[in-house]
Amino acid sequence: MKRKIGLKNSLVFATMALLAIVMLYPFIFMIGTSFKSKEQYFGAPGHSLSSWHNLFKALPVGKQLLNSTLVCAGSISIILLVATMAGFALAKLRSKASPYFFFGIVGAMLIPLQSIIIPAYINASKLNLLSGYWGAIFVYAALGTPFATFLMTSYFRGIPDDLVEAAVVDGLGYGAVFRKIAMPLAVPAVITIIVLQFIQIWDDLLVGLLFIQDPNYRTITVGLGALSAGRVTDIPVLMAGSLISAIPAVVVYLIFQRQLVNGLTAGIGK
Amino acid sequence: MKRVSPLHQARSRTGLFFAAPALILVAAFLGIPIIQAGFFSFTEWNGVTAIWHGISTYTHELHNPIFWRVLQNNGYLLLGVPIAILLPMGIAFLLNEKVVGWKVFRTIYFLPTAISWVVIGMVAMRFFAQEGLLNGLLRGMGLGFIKTDLLSSEQGALFAVGITFIWSMVGTNTIIFLTGMATLDQSLNEAARMDGASNVRIFRSITLPQLSRFIQFSFIITIISAFTALFSLIFVMTGGGPGFGTTTLEFFIFQSAFSRGDFGTGAMLGVLLFFMMAILGIGQLLIMRNRDE
Repeated sequence: MKRKIGLKNSLVFATMALLAIVMLYPFIFMIGTSFKSKEQYFGAPGHSLSSWHNLFKALPVGKQLLNSTLVCAGSISIILLVATMAGFALAKLRSKASPYFFFGIVGAMLIPLQSIIIPAYINASKLNLLSGYWGAIFVYAALGTPFATFLMTSYFRGIPDDLVEAAVVDGLGYGAVFRKIAMPLAVPAVITIIVLQFIQIWDDLLVGLLFIQDPNYRTITVGLGALSAGRVTDIPVLMAGSLISAIPAVVVYLIFQRQLVNGLTAGIGK
Repeated sequence: MKRVSPLHQARSRTGLFFAAPALILVAAFLGIPIIQAGFFSFTEWNGVTAIWHGISTYTHELHNPIFWRVLQNNGYLLLGVPIAILLPMGIAFLLNEKVVGWKVFRTIYFLPTAISWVVIGMVAMRFFAQEGLLNGLLRGMGLGFIKTDLLSSEQGALFAVGITFIWSMVGTNTIIFLTGMATLDQSLNEAARMDGASNVRIFRSITLPQLSRFIQFSFIITIISAFTALFSLIFVMTGGGPGFGTTTLEFFIFQSAFSRGDFGTGAMLGVLLFFMMAILGIGQLLIMRNRDE
């Protein structure tokens, strides 16, 4: 009996290990390829750093990483500001109009990006939002707000009404209750939103491609997408760029895995 | 509390004031544009001037063979949905055995969720290329005579996009099912086993019903992804080609507007996509709501 279980477990382990290689394949390929020159990729022996040198010539990596960071920081700040306030209001400061607000904000989750991107692009261009970061920042913020508001509303619902009432009776305004009592309790939900949105915005191509017209403001993912669409055929260089672009989001994922999973499954509960 | 007290009034006012910024942001960048899309879908629009054509823009498009070709591509991708759900379900069952290292494996399987479609597309492109790993593997298995060049044919390229799509859904769906399995009531299994139920019977009559909410959820997420998440993958991997081989509805929207300058058709296709997704999304909201109560 014992031996049978051992055999079963080893089979399960072997299957999972094989699957792990399949899922890790992009990383194995990127790392392996980026340390080769173009000739080595096509079969010549050895390794080299030449592709990394060439990458920094082909792509302003540092600048684009900074651009990605700024765009993420800008949009996430806006999302957090509006979604925590709205979540608090919709959970704790309810009125007859609350359900309409909730539907108006959270219901926008039903709108696919591709359905609004053309009018949004034209509007942004008329408002002169395409020359810097702002067009992309606002679009990312608007796209992230519905789900963030949903998450914050359900989170704040878990805080007892009495806590809010008592503070108000003690003479605190609603703004102060929000800042001093509700927000400190909401840190886990806030982290979930940050992680979820960071990965989403960092990895996005379409919004950045359209809403950032000046190449100097391009994010790393857009820079890379443009490089590949320009049919740069130096594969090791592209892989070095891919690897660099992937690292920040992967690091965030490894640190905040639990929060990311919480965010993903928030729609179904536990 | 039913009486409208001054305190209650102040609270409602503050509440609306607090919720307003989110509503304004969403209305400005999503709400108004979807209404505009609805309007412009009836016009011939180049981004500057729009000429009203009414419903004929829609009827005209219904006679466009490329439009049907594009929907057909979406249809083929949907064939991958059952695999993108069943495979992760199996993986979640394996992980749930909790053999040594299962947490590490869980982390690895979910890892692709963190990398962009651009990166996935670039790697996938090389994997399916003529000199890529796929042919290497086939050769290794003694099947070298099936030398494939998937990305160079219309059907092959769509197949390659589909495989990459399934691969990328593994992490998300596995996590959904793993979450679901943590909620399973083990005592039901015990009771059924005592009553002499077989494993298959237990799985069908006890496990599956308990997982149904999670299956629905992953089903909807996977379909929505198939329709709206693959733009970047297609952009990088195939550019929609060869021909219209891998042009899906979402990619067709982009192409119509930003490659051909036909913003009106783009808006109309966007409206169609919106209605398709809204139906699915309402289903999802209903699941979330059931959970709330």
